[in-house]
Amino acid sequence: MTANQNELLSALVDGELKGNELDQALQLLSTSDQARAQFQRHQLVSDVLHGHVSHNRTVDLTGRIADALLDEPAISLTPKHKALVIPFPSQFWKQATGLALAASVGAIAVMGVMNQSQSQFMPVTAVASIEDPAESMMVAQTSNRWTVGEQEVEERLNTYLVNHNEYAGASNVFSYARVVSYDAGQ
Amino acid sequence: MSIVAHADDATTLLDRMDVAAKQLNYEGVFSYQVGKKMQSIRIIHRANQQGEIERLISLNGVAREVIRNNEMMTCIYPEGKRVQPNHRPLGLGFPGDFLNRLSLASAYYQLSLGREERIAGHNAQELKVMSVDNYRYGYHLWVDKDSDLLLQSDLVDEQNEVIETVAFSSVEMGHDIPEALLQAQIQGNQMTWNRVEHIMATKTLANKTQSPWQIEWMPEGFSLVAQQNRLKAKNGAFIAQHVYSDGLNSISIFIEKIRAQHSHLRGNSKMGATNAFGTIINRHFVTIVGEVPERTVEKVGNSIQYIGRE
Repeated sequence: MTANQNELLSALVDGELKGNELDQALQLLSTSDQARAQFQRHQLVSDVLHGHVSHNRTVDLTGRIADALLDEPAISLTPKHKALVIPFPSQFWKQATGLALAASVGAIAVMGVMNQSQSQFMPVTAVASIEDPAESMMVAQTSNRWTVGEQEVEERLNTYLVNHNEYAGASNVFSYARVVSYDAGQ
Repeated sequence: MSIVAHADDATTLLDRMDVAAKQLNYEGVFSYQVGKKMQSIRIIHRANQQGEIERLISLNGVAREVIRNNEMMTCIYPEGKRVQPNHRPLGLGFPGDFLNRLSLASAYYQLSLGREERIAGHNAQELKVMSVDNYRYGYHLWVDKDSDLLLQSDLVDEQNEVIETVAFSSVEMGHDIPEALLQAQIQGNQMTWNRVEHIMATKTLANKTQSPWQIEWMPEGFSLVAQQNRLKAKNGAFIAQHVYSDGLNSISIFIEKIRAQHSHLRGNSKMGATNAFGTIINRHFVTIVGEVPERTVEKVGNSIQYIGRE
């Protein structure tokens, strides 16, 4: 997806499009899975920033539920004040790599394998993002990151991890080994 | 040799290892393995009168880099074309006072010398650092007999099962490190230099009594070694970090005021040997992160209370 298309989607979320541009954006959404995913990200970010995401919506990111979600046709996270609602794909627990949020930290994380016990991981709010199904499956199965559920939560944990690593323990020669790369092997 | 003498030797070796890691020039490749995943990393470390500078390059997949010196750590991610400089927190001497803390740590770990082995072409002495309780991990360390540089570190749980291994496959020491080797391969003209956070203040430890947060439980031997507030540039929210250490392992408590309806970890999460526990207390995100067992971060998290004004 081009930068212009990305800007178009961002403007659509902000309600800034009219006429041809609006048609162009809607056309893009109707023809591109990637565009729909990107639109969802913009929309979720907007919703979170404006407090439009319900606090009561809780997602249990257990492996069992993740499996169940595979069979779900769609999950809709409906913002309160948005006219255009696009249903989430079922692979919504996969958080996006390379997502253009402040999440440069998302690219920090740790090279290590995350032996995540997903049953213990429960974000409060259902903010999620999307990737292609193949990647979603892979992450759901290998779970080699802090979380597969929420970009925002993972970013926060990664930020904390980097700061914590300043105080890493005995093997300080290697303390940044945990920081050098992200999603190794994916 | 008596058991006591053996332990003294082990403690001395641990001290020397820490000094070597800070004062030596070295360059090599090491692997970092957790479970079935392994990553190779090149490390270049230079120490001189100006201090330390270190560059790490991920050799698998995309060549991500970390460069750190006395004041700054920079993470470079080619795929995102984003560079993230990050001020090192000023921990009031920590880890500069690491050596002093090592002697304190010995009360909570059983130190002993193990076998001699050959690691990355060097003769190495094994040093066993085993926890006396199940609230912290232990280590099997292999230290170069000539230079005292740590060559391999196995982090082990209470069953002595290895949960994380970091080991040099090759390393050279004591030579000059040219400046060019410490420069990032990826130059900044294609990057966005994002300063994601700015240290607003570093509180002295004397201020700890003013904290509205009370941590009722810590594993024995863990004490506050650093405390600071950071400003998260993106939304302006302050994040407080309290760092506790027993000298070998450390636990950070992050406290962030909720400014909007954000998501947050509730319960446990794990990445390699690092565990995290998240909860929400008095409209704050509270997250405990440490290279300690899951039970430890959870117990610490559940012991935290807000005692300030509502």
